[in-house]
Amino acid sequence: MNFELPSLSRRDFITKSTLGAGLVLGAPSVLKAKEAGAPADDIRVGFIGCGKQHEVIFNAMVNIPGVRYVAACDIMEGRRKATFNRIGSKFRYKINQYVSAEEMLAKEDLDAVFVATPDFWHAPHTVMALEAGCHVYCEKMMSHTIEGARSMVAAMDRTGKLCQIGHQRRSNPRYRYVLDELIHKENICGQIININGQWNRALSSSQDIVSKPSLLPEAEILREYGFNNGADHTLSLDELRHRFLNWRFYTDLSGGPISDLGAHQIDIFNWFMGSQPKSVMASGGRSFFKDREHFDNVMCIFDYDTPQGNARAFYQVLTTTSAGGGYYESFMGTEGTIEISEREAYTNIYKESGAENDKWDKLVQRGLLKKEAVGVAAGGSDAIASYASAPPDKYALPGVITKAPHTPHIENFLSTIRGEATLTCDARHALESEAPIYWVNPAANNNQIINFTEEHLGA
Amino acid sequence: MTTKDNCSCDLGLILGMLTLRLWLGARAIQTGLEKFAGTAQRETLVLVDGVPNDYGLMETTTVKAYSFGDYHGVPVPLYDKFVAEPLIPTWGLNLYDIILGPALIILGLTVLLGIATRYSLFLMGLVYTSLTFGLILIKQDAGVAWLGIHIVMVVMALALAKYNKFAILKKW
Repeated sequence: MNFELPSLSRRDFITKSTLGAGLVLGAPSVLKAKEAGAPADDIRVGFIGCGKQHEVIFNAMVNIPGVRYVAACDIMEGRRKATFNRIGSKFRYKINQYVSAEEMLAKEDLDAVFVATPDFWHAPHTVMALEAGCHVYCEKMMSHTIEGARSMVAAMDRTGKLCQIGHQRRSNPRYRYVLDELIHKENICGQIININGQWNRALSSSQDIVSKPSLLPEAEILREYGFNNGADHTLSLDELRHRFLNWRFYTDLSGGPISDLGAHQIDIFNWFMGSQPKSVMASGGRSFFKDREHFDNVMCIFDYDTPQGNARAFYQVLTTTSAGGGYYESFMGTEGTIEISEREAYTNIYKESGAENDKWDKLVQRGLLKKEAVGVAAGGSDAIASYASAPPDKYALPGVITKAPHTPHIENFLSTIRGEATLTCDARHALESEAPIYWVNPAANNNQIINFTEEHLGA
Repeated sequence: MTTKDNCSCDLGLILGMLTLRLWLGARAIQTGLEKFAGTAQRETLVLVDGVPNDYGLMETTTVKAYSFGDYHGVPVPLYDKFVAEPLIPTWGLNLYDIILGPALIILGLTVLLGIATRYSLFLMGLVYTSLTFGLILIKQDAGVAWLGIHIVMVVMALALAKYNKFAILKKW
């Protein structure tokens, strides 16, 4: 497979992708909404879903100029009002509020919509908004099913509208710098043979979400909006409200921890490797939260064939333990390892003792890396020299980003609408990267290795 | 030469009074100005091969800066403690928070320049007394003692007021 990005126009891209153009994970989008130089009018924005993730998005975009907030919808009145008040107090104008996304899309003249609803609503809301003529920024995971995700790609192709998926690391300057400069141009890792990623979260951060009953929607509206999907009995109001607040625990409403937390990081595996894995094996269990439908802890291994050779990626998502270094993705090569995270604190670069000192010294001189520390052997009476490798020297990236993690991704989306950029994670490339994730839970459930075919991973 | 003349022309006492004015003035002005202090982050693009990088990687340095936006008359940690004190009404605390910084700067300037020195010193003493009252409530005994030294210095300056020279407005 060829992962080089050809220079295509949007029309070319859509045509070729419809004809089954190959994977282009290496440099995602070639979509452009307007020709460069088009008037930079305010982009009229609506929000579908006003919950916690919406807040993250809004806080990340609140200082981006050229945006006019027009409307927001959510089935929970308190959330709608909170968004209304937040925008009112910041911008001194009022937005329109809706319960129904259909009604909002029908009545409002919107350029772009941000979808931050539960996973099982991502595909319907995204398709609906694209069909209504809006560009869409949709939170990851694209959908709780691969069919849902495929429908989003089809709708993007069909309508010619932009659809950015919220894998915000794809626009993060630190990640782009590491991939383009350190891995591709300078090849500081050598051959990347192992990848290791994790998101370890404490029990205290994994508890059920609760809320005052008086603030929550009634049973009728929760049923109308599908929060009873997959239930084997008629749900009580309390059960429906539990599902409304904790949809991430239910198999018919979400993909569980491996998609909630793992999707961001497994996306980075595939993006950095420039390919999809050829198989996955996985194990998981309801080890602590025994009543939850999804596994609370999952570990999986992906196998890759890359132009450099074969490689393996291990990923674990834990919802019962926070120790172990937080969340990061580590690319381990024969000459160096890059441990990168959205958090600067979890980002480290190591030079293998056998790697060329001159090469790394020059990288420091040129400003591409900062040297942090010379490797020091642990020592101690229990050290057996013949067992241990020489400790690696430690380096760091030369700079930081000074914006919220989601801001560059939203800026990329808005700039692309204006015709000034190309999407860094359009739906097609997001699906190419996300597709293997949909097979982790089945592999863990059935205790089997899944060898991927076009049927598993195709868009 | 009369005794009175001897007293008012005593060079040592004149210089003593001047020293007190300088100390108390500088102390009050700088304390008032510090209430407008905050930090500002300076960001510059990281240079790679001598040119700014294309990715937006930034180098940041934090510097001290003064602005009206950073003003806190009563420091936030102390404010939070005072809010819980029943003897300090919130409206009074808010008013105090607004006037404390400017009051210290103005009184510092008037003492330093010698404008109505006696009344300025008296008002400065009242400000330090009010601060002492707050610190007593939240049991900051070291701070109370520290302010007590300020009060002693104000009283010394008032006692030496007749040796006040190099003043713009000697009346009052």
